[in-house]
Amino acid sequence: MKCAIEGSNVKAFGKAVHALSRIGEDLWLDPLEKGLALRAVNSAHSAYACFLFSPLFFQLYSLHPGTQSPGTPIKCKLAMKSVLPLFRCLATIERNVDRCEISISTEESRVICQFYCRHGITKTHNLSYQESEALQAVFPTNLCPNVLKAQAKLLGDIVRHFPASQEEITLAVSPVRVILKNYYEEESDRAKVMYTEMSLHPDEFDYFQVGVDSHITFCLKELRGLLSFAESHSLPVCVHFGSSGKPVSFSLDDMPLTATVVLATLDEDASAPPSQTAPSQIGPVHRCVGAPSVPTSPRGTLECGGGEKEPEEENLHVAPQGGPVPGEERVLSSQASPVFSPALYLRKLLELPKPPPPPSSPPQEQRVAATPNMEAEEACAWHLPMAPPLTHAQTTLIEDMETEPVCAAPKMAASSMPVTPPTAKVRALLFGALCEQNPDASPSALPSLACASDTEDDTADDRGQTRTTEE
Amino acid sequence: MKFRSKMIDVGCLNPFTRVVNTIAKLNKTCVLRLTPDNLYFVLSGKVSNGGVSMWCELLQVNFFDEYQIEGVSPDANEICLELAPENISRALKTAQNAKSVKIKLTKKHCPCLTLAAELPSLSSVSRVVTHDIPVDVIPRRMWHDFKEPSMPDFDVSVYLPHLKLMKNIVDRMKNLSNYLVIEANLSGEMNLKIETDLVAVTTHFKDLGNPPWDIVHKRIVHLILLHEDVSLQYFIPAVA
Repeated sequence: MKCAIEGSNVKAFGKAVHALSRIGEDLWLDPLEKGLALRAVNSAHSAYACFLFSPLFFQLYSLHPGTQSPGTPIKCKLAMKSVLPLFRCLATIERNVDRCEISISTEESRVICQFYCRHGITKTHNLSYQESEALQAVFPTNLCPNVLKAQAKLLGDIVRHFPASQEEITLAVSPVRVILKNYYEEESDRAKVMYTEMSLHPDEFDYFQVGVDSHITFCLKELRGLLSFAESHSLPVCVHFGSSGKPVSFSLDDMPLTATVVLATLDEDASAPPSQTAPSQIGPVHRCVGAPSVPTSPRGTLECGGGEKEPEEENLHVAPQGGPVPGEERVLSSQASPVFSPALYLRKLLELPKPPPPPSSPPQEQRVAATPNMEAEEACAWHLPMAPPLTHAQTTLIEDMETEPVCAAPKMAASSMPVTPPTAKVRALLFGALCEQNPDASPSALPSLACASDTEDDTADDRGQTRTTEE
Repeated sequence: MKFRSKMIDVGCLNPFTRVVNTIAKLNKTCVLRLTPDNLYFVLSGKVSNGGVSMWCELLQVNFFDEYQIEGVSPDANEICLELAPENISRALKTAQNAKSVKIKLTKKHCPCLTLAAELPSLSSVSRVVTHDIPVDVIPRRMWHDFKEPSMPDFDVSVYLPHLKLMKNIVDRMKNLSNYLVIEANLSGEMNLKIETDLVAVTTHFKDLGNPPWDIVHKRIVHLILLHEDVSLQYFIPAVA
């Protein structure tokens, strides 16, 4: 892959890297037909961000530059620590850099990033990468009952009222009011912390649709990167969400680039802290696409972040190790995945000890190994598609899923305050079909960045599906 | 115990914010005393132990348009709260261009001072930002700690020179040493001196008037700042 970015777009690219750096420690580079995708996920797998730069963004964008043989373009992962310094000082970049060329060289196993600066200076950075499967979260935004669209400035103003160190905030919507308040989990701090609540009228939003009254709690820190990006480009941000426990997606769409941040939200229904409203019913959660039923397939399609599954997550997302839990429903799909019932696992969760600190990510090769840990990860929030192309059965499943209610990630009870330390808080991520149709989507529903990781999927998806991403 | 107040004139908000910001820089916690006529911010580091103490008095009419207070009891119509000035400072910072600010005492998960600011917004309905600042109510038996300090007998007092000038000088001296020697006499002269092993720097001020009341004492430096709405008294115990 080789691409060249000109002029002010270099700064935008740098800003995107900054925003992604707030999420995770690694940057996934995924050159696709429809553009270059930069992605990041955080270690707890509760936040995901993707910036997709379409070929229009680049002065030159070539998946298979001359010397490389046609084939699947390399997808790789870079350490954020090595990428961020290149774009650290955006003001300098704006002043000095005329052009930036990024290319992935498989012969040398490097990503080469060249900055052509003023006065004839050329800076070349060779970054080593780790080959990796593409990271992606699928989030069918058109199926979210609640949609808000706001100017970046509004959101920036709102967020300014909360201290910079504020970790999490709660967004509560009803048809007449939108309320944001800060959220503290630890009981001990409750007496000492200052609570801030901000209440807005729906009129302030460019688009306001509330299908179901809900309040969601998500991590603000991870979102700030996207918000500052949006503010610098004065773009409106769309927020898609559902009830608590389901993920929330913040997306923005500027012609040559689209950005999405998907954050897991706290499942408050089971935890019921005093400040929350009465817990609502937890409905059955359908297992996501691609997750085979537990007993039949030990390995399944459970790659998580290229094998960097955290034991803490594994502890939290306990899945039945053996056969299916008795009395479980099955998703009406070709794979008949079991319906995940959080209550069943609440007991287990309460018995869990404090999870150990996350280990360093294992090398890529171990990803595919079928281990009991992987089985446990069935219930985890994060998914990666399999390395081999989707089988026909799975492709059919995708098509089936269109007609079905979107599956939400298995929700784990967020309770057990005494057991789960704040860092191991339960989150849920949403998985949906790999593609979805947006025939009559709400005006602000942005296309999901759901895209298969390899070209076969792309073509499979293109069959008969509207890819609004290509607008 | 009830307290409700409302500030409509945004012009008053600014000086109030500045006072609170100043106090926030001085200490992590302070005591807010509310009486029907005044607000007092009191920092009560014990002077004998070498702590800095401060007393700041604000006339409530100059800031608030509505002010209602019902104290602990009819004969002690006051409320004493302990809080972190930083919280108020932060809350006020976000309310800078508010249409109105309401401050009241509430009880949520714990006693709180609730600051509700109505902000201008794009729509017809304005935004409301509410900050709940946790406070501790100070029981009556401890109130004597926070009485207005009496003026002790002073030896010398001088009017300080222009504050900006002093700030510049003191800032520079701060980098060199932790201790500052202040000398003043009744002829209107004052010296600010620092001495370290390597260097001694002295700044001499002349022709400072001597006010009829005393400012500098042998053992305590008492700085009084008088502004139109606010009077702030600051005690710094001397080290030697």
